Amino acid sequence: MIGSISHPKTRSLHYAHSIRNRLAWLLMTLVIIGAVLFVETGYFTDVDWPILTDAVLQTTYRLIVAYGIALALGVGIGLLVGWSPLMDFLFPFFDVLQNLPSFALFPLFVYFFGFTDKMIVLFAVTSIVWPILFAVLTTIRSVHKDLNDAAIIFGATGFRRITHYLAPLSFPAVLSGSIVGIAIGWEAVIGAEIIISSEGFGAFIKGADASGLSPSAVAGALGILVIVFIVNRLVWAPLLSESSRRYAE
Amino acid sequence: MTDHPPMALVLSRVSTRFVDEEKQDPSVLHEVSFSIPHGSFVSLVGPSGSGKSTLLRVILGLMPIRSGEIIRNVQRPAMVFQNYALFPWLTTLENVAFGLRMEGVGRKERERVAREKLDEVGLVHLERHYPAALSGGQRQRVGLARALAISPDLLIMDEPFSNLDTITAEALKTDLLKIWRSYGMTVLMVNHLIPDAIELSDTIILMNAHPGRVEKIIAVDLPRPRDIRSPHFFSRVDALTEDIRALT
Repeated sequence: MIGSISHPKTRSLHYAHSIRNRLAWLLMTLVIIGAVLFVETGYFTDVDWPILTDAVLQTTYRLIVAYGIALALGVGIGLLVGWSPLMDFLFPFFDVLQNLPSFALFPLFVYFFGFTDKMIVLFAVTSIVWPILFAVLTTIRSVHKDLNDAAIIFGATGFRRITHYLAPLSFPAVLSGSIVGIAIGWEAVIGAEIIISSEGFGAFIKGADASGLSPSAVAGALGILVIVFIVNRLVWAPLLSESSRRYAE
Repeated sequence: MTDHPPMALVLSRVSTRFVDEEKQDPSVLHEVSFSIPHGSFVSLVGPSGSGKSTLLRVILGLMPIRSGEIIRNVQRPAMVFQNYALFPWLTTLENVAFGLRMEGVGRKERERVAREKLDEVGLVHLERHYPAALSGGQRQRVGLARALAISPDLLIMDEPFSNLDTITAEALKTDLLKIWRSYGMTVLMVNHLIPDAIELSDTIILMNAHPGRVEKIIAVDLPRPRDIRSPHFFSRVDALTEDIRALT
């Protein structure tokens, strides 16, 4: 550990990471100060906290389920396609599919699944899956030929090629794809909730006040910011740090 | 036939794709023939575009051939790469043990062998490090240890010294000769430094480009260990330099 940090390249990565860390904490401090000011000035007195909390948690729950499905699908399909000889043939198809705007397909989802929880989750899955799938495919396609040869020469063939070579190779890609995917996922879930007015944060802000900033909508937005921050600190930041330590070239 | 030394590799008129008249594809090989006896040290020398790296990959079966025949009397080929090609997600020890792990060797045994090989290349103290934390010379030593760990009977090396500084390369070269002598495996190395090729090799295969083909096969019969300051050595270097100049 100490040895690796003392290496100049690794050290610079850690330096960049610590700056990102400081910026994140600075942003969070501003959010908290803002929230305290709002509470102090009585701006939030009319907010119905239990209902708002329920709505935010409902939206978060849908996002987590959708992310889980999208992660399994994106990584699974990405590894299988990357493993198969069909990679170069299939890549252009995925490239076209990923460019379809998800919301254009929204009526299709409503038609098949109705105004249900399942519909919102599956709709979000189709948004989240692409960044993950593409990050995996791009990594596998662009890997240095020598690393590929090394994997074959030293015996990572057949199914072991996935478990011992393609999967660990794709780890940083899964990470960055997940971060982008979840950002898009918030939009997809909240957007779907706004459209069909089902429970959740989207429906809540639609019902709260359609004409601009209501205290409830502001409180909800701050709540989601806090969730995003906590997930970033507890999940993504440690994983990114570990990934940059290992995969640095 | 019995008075010939047994051959590790025999290539007869091996060609890859046909040469496109307009595009001079550097990965093309044209009717390449040579044979390599077991236990010998052979260097491939030639200008870029002569298909040296392609030839290595063809021999390892990583690339298809268009015509000709390759007889491989080797069971366990291994390769050392110019860009090291270590797995960045594995520690030094796990990288070296990778080949054995793929063969299903248990953790204890493969780590014992890996430590032994790391010791041979002088890096046993770095076994917990990831490749990103190692210098170029250290990475290439890990690459060599990874190859040695599977007890190869053919060691293929693609310009293993070209990314290293002179002092590091000299040290690694000395170790490589020691390892070659004690293992007795066949070595086939792409080398772009003429004195290195003369110092290390029993045979030098001189290749020419467009299309990639064998120009000349040179036996280096200087006694070992070789004195790289002797007049014989310099005359060999001069002769090979002349041969390479004549290519263009």
